[in-house]
Amino acid sequence: MSSRGGKQKKGNVTSEQEEEEQPLQAVLVADSFNRRFFPISKDQPRALLPLGNVAMIDYTLEFLTSTGVQETFVFCCWMSNKIKDHLLKSKWCRPTSPNVVHIITSDLYRSLGDVLRDVDAKNLVRNDFILVYGDVVSNIDVSQALQEHRHRRKVDKNISVMTMVFKESSPGHKTRCEEDDVIVAMDSKSKRVLHYQKTQGLKKLQFPMNIFQHGSDEFEIRHDLLDCHISICSPQVAELFTDNFDYQTRNDFVRGILVNEEILGNQIHLYVTQDGYGARVSNLQMYDSVSLDMVRRWVYPLTPEANFTDQQGQGCTHSRHNVYRGAEVSLGHGSQMEENVLIGRDTSIGANCHISNSVIGNNCTIGDNVVLDRAHMWNNVHVSSNVEIHQSVVCDGAVVKEAVRLNKQCVLAYNVVIGPNLSLPEGTVVSMHHPEEEEEDDDDEFLSDDQEVGHSKDKTRQKAFNPAEVGPEGKGYIWKASMNDTEDEELAQCLWGLVLNPDPESDSESEASEESQDRSRSVSPEIDDVNAFQLEVLGTLQRGLEENIVCDNLVLEINSLKYAYNITLKEVMQILTRVVLEYPFQQQGTQLTTLQYTGSLLPLLKTWSPVFKNYIKRAQDHLDCLSAVEELFLEQDTHQTAMVKVLMKMYQLEILEEEAILKWFSTGATNDKSRQLRKNQGVRLGQICVWGKPSQNVKGYQFGHCGSLILLLQKETTLLIFSDGVQRKQTPCSQCHKKESCGMV
Amino acid sequence: MELQAVLMAAGGGSRMMDLTYNTPKPLLPVGNKPLIWYPLNLLERVGFEEVIVITTKEVQKMISTDPKVKLDVKMKLDLVCIQEDADMGTADALRHIQQKVKTDVLVVSCDLITDAALHEVVDLFRAHNATLSMLMSKAHEFTETVPGQKGKKKTGEQRDFVGVDGTGKRLLFMANEADLDEGVVIRKSIMRKHPRMHIKTGLVDAHLYCLKKSVVDFLADNKSISSIRGELVPYLVRKQFSKSTNSPKVIDETHQNLKKNDSNVNLEIQISSRDEELLHLTQERSCWNDHRGDMSDAYHGGRLRCYVHIMDEGICYRVNTLAAYIEANRLAPKLFDEPAVHPSAVVSERCLIGADSIIGASCQISDKTSIKRSTIGVSTTVREKVKVTNSIIMHGVTIEEGCNIQGSVICSNAVIGRGADIKYCLVGSAQRIEPDGEHTTMSKACSA
Repeated sequence: MSSRGGKQKKGNVTSEQEEEEQPLQAVLVADSFNRRFFPISKDQPRALLPLGNVAMIDYTLEFLTSTGVQETFVFCCWMSNKIKDHLLKSKWCRPTSPNVVHIITSDLYRSLGDVLRDVDAKNLVRNDFILVYGDVVSNIDVSQALQEHRHRRKVDKNISVMTMVFKESSPGHKTRCEEDDVIVAMDSKSKRVLHYQKTQGLKKLQFPMNIFQHGSDEFEIRHDLLDCHISICSPQVAELFTDNFDYQTRNDFVRGILVNEEILGNQIHLYVTQDGYGARVSNLQMYDSVSLDMVRRWVYPLTPEANFTDQQGQGCTHSRHNVYRGAEVSLGHGSQMEENVLIGRDTSIGANCHISNSVIGNNCTIGDNVVLDRAHMWNNVHVSSNVEIHQSVVCDGAVVKEAVRLNKQCVLAYNVVIGPNLSLPEGTVVSMHHPEEEEEDDDDEFLSDDQEVGHSKDKTRQKAFNPAEVGPEGKGYIWKASMNDTEDEELAQCLWGLVLNPDPESDSESEASEESQDRSRSVSPEIDDVNAFQLEVLGTLQRGLEENIVCDNLVLEINSLKYAYNITLKEVMQILTRVVLEYPFQQQGTQLTTLQYTGSLLPLLKTWSPVFKNYIKRAQDHLDCLSAVEELFLEQDTHQTAMVKVLMKMYQLEILEEEAILKWFSTGATNDKSRQLRKNQGVRLGQICVWGKPSQNVKGYQFGHCGSLILLLQKETTLLIFSDGVQRKQTPCSQCHKKESCGMV
Repeated sequence: MELQAVLMAAGGGSRMMDLTYNTPKPLLPVGNKPLIWYPLNLLERVGFEEVIVITTKEVQKMISTDPKVKLDVKMKLDLVCIQEDADMGTADALRHIQQKVKTDVLVVSCDLITDAALHEVVDLFRAHNATLSMLMSKAHEFTETVPGQKGKKKTGEQRDFVGVDGTGKRLLFMANEADLDEGVVIRKSIMRKHPRMHIKTGLVDAHLYCLKKSVVDFLADNKSISSIRGELVPYLVRKQFSKSTNSPKVIDETHQNLKKNDSNVNLEIQISSRDEELLHLTQERSCWNDHRGDMSDAYHGGRLRCYVHIMDEGICYRVNTLAAYIEANRLAPKLFDEPAVHPSAVVSERCLIGADSIIGASCQISDKTSIKRSTIGVSTTVREKVKVTNSIIMHGVTIEEGCNIQGSVICSNAVIGRGADIKYCLVGSAQRIEPDGEHTTMSKACSA
């Protein structure tokens, strides 16, 4: 770090002057403005959560100081008092600190946008500043990026407003999590960002043409970048946030700048570092990786034994295999610390324990025969004997009793007691806060109000703990993220982030689906309204069959569902058709033969025909229904032969009108596949059409009892057309094995 | 024999009709050599002993009879004629000679003039056991004024978007701007395999391809593809990432289907080579990998691979427009070491011939003539006091006394009348220009 200080002094005369006039400033946002870390962050703001036994905000401040920042504005909102206390006690507020820290608190901040608008209102920044979150862990030397940024601003007269810092890391990298995954299109020469998009849940990445029309002939599309959430901003950024009051996040800002590039003429550039470490702890997945990276010394010189926070008693020793021990650690007989283990001071570990890739805080006690793998234990945790913990977080003051097993991705929040003799399933989150209290809070909104916690504590008192969930002596509730948290989208639902899927199978699957007309398979568990509605309709029909409910009541139920999910009438009909036609697959698996399929479907159609008739009334309804049928059979292309039977049955049941079928057939195909379908089915569908059309040699038609079509031709002859397309003149019906020609209706 | 060379010389030169009206494109003189000589020489230089030339009857006849278009190549030329009016594409032509193809092929277009190191392309093909490897070059700006065109050439041409991976060798994406209404769409799984993709727009395709034999076989089965550049290459590039070509199981299945049902057209390309199993074994045992950053196998298990060699410097022209033709004439002398003035030419001592000019065989250049930056074709007669600058004079042209010719193209057997002043013109075959005429910026193509 001293070398960095030297570098600045060495810099050329102009930049030296600049720096002397204007100390480098930084804006540190010590609030995440989301609930990803709930319920943990209910008791402690995210910036103060310990990572490698040091609060995260200390890493951020150390990073800023080491890159030469001389003045930092820390903006706090949620539990600002705690952050303030912490900072006032830390080395940053000592008079010798090279980095002057100003703490600015307000309960009114709702987003990064609010913070930057306040920066603008208070006129805090005078020059280019660094914008970071309070949960960024990094050792990147941004002075190079800063120099590039200043150079660009000098050359291009304030066109570039922001330089984002990225770290190069391939897609399989551990510190990349699905939710923060970005794809960036840039101009290779000028390093200008042309397109910036989060890739979560996307299968195809689309880049509009206008980004390639900037005169350059070389572009780069990069998916190997890890967003460090460190940005070098010009003072204009704060002004732009003021001008555009709808900008909430940096994402909004970047997108806004890129979209309005032509109007406003502002540009964003990027800086990619190959070495150096930078990551934002945005969820527990990241917490796990960053914490281990820290222990593995990737963030050097920020290492556990460095005690950069300069606090008494924080020091520890570093021995081989990256085992760190604080002061007064006692280790029982036969206990093994395999590798990458950090143990805080005054912690005692019993006999025959097996610890690897774990961080254990201060003042913890661990019993005998304990297995810890990727466990993150904070301070004052008590673990009894015979406990096994895998990839889990155990917060301050938690107690884990005898013979408890925490499977992967469990979280024990503050002061929870678990056990004894219990195995928590994967992904369990236990907290002293009752999940319902969360919902109650929601009414009076916002998270950034510390009084609320006091309020809610009273409410929880009455509710009893469930011994099945937390064990006979346990204290705590299973935490389920509230579903109505619309603010932060679906992310809030899982504390651990989604893992980047390293499984190559899923890749090829997506390719396969691409090949055969993208079948939308949602990766994330959440379902949209239409899907939910479809499931509900399926459930309703199922119940209808089982309990023999009258069709009128079914209609009533579907109608109410329609309002509940806000579904249009057209969609209702399409979904209904789809559900009914898929019903045999639902019930009997997808390996049905076409014959079995029609066999089970046709009676169903008959049963539910009143339901259909209720929805299919106007001519347009008929067409919509037909297109739904068509769509389904396009997907189930092995069963296309059944289509004709289905159509015929629907016709017979008077669900569909003949005119509609004809119109549908003649309106023509919208794409190749449906054209193919019509072609394949052409003979048969053609026949359906033939009987409708006033053709000169067909006088009329009738249906045979086995579904065959009997055309009465001019010359007193009849032509039998079977549903499989075979045409015979007056021959025995092969399907009913009767000697005489297949009888009339 | 590792590679068979195939030269495509049946193109009509539709983008330079003025020039190809009388002379077929392969035989247009460039630096006093027929255009087709350049790719042939390229192949000969790297040691090919035999080449299959796909061409038209007309060209074949002219090559065998006309002494002016004599090809001094030692290679064995296997001339295959195709019908001129059949409107065959390059892929059709390749399909036409499928019987002759015994190994992998190197396909070259007759209008390629380059000093590229061919081994770069072939090495990519060999090293990665690629299905396709091709040559591209940075596009050149044509600076010369083109006859018959006023002002600057309009840049309304559609750009090609070429996506290559971080190493700049693997071809990942290819599309023409015209087809990209919805923007560039790339599947995320491709980005995951090749996280850094360079998209380049200012490239010109040299139309030089190394293709696996299986691709030729595939063409034979799949008659819907008619052009290599337009259809086959984009298809192969796309197919690199599709599942069906990458899992051996599917291929086996299609193979069986094929045997069972021969009438079914095989629409899937089958990538297999003689030593497939050994190669597979080597790959399995080797610790070599083509990428880093994840734990998957080399090439991510893909079996179809396309590569491209992009020339950074050097000459690479496709003579398919008038502008390119003029540029190529200007640069051609640099490509071979032959005396600028042919020994059999009769050049008066009292005339001025620039070092950047070429005088063809049995020319007659008279007194007080100045020739700069120009090419004079075989048996052309230039009389006294003629000034020729920046021009291309083809074979058998007669230029009378006192003419001034600048920036023009004079086709074969034309006669330029005494004292004519021609600037930026294209004079057609066997045309006569009136004496003392003055012409600027117009073309006279037709002999009628």
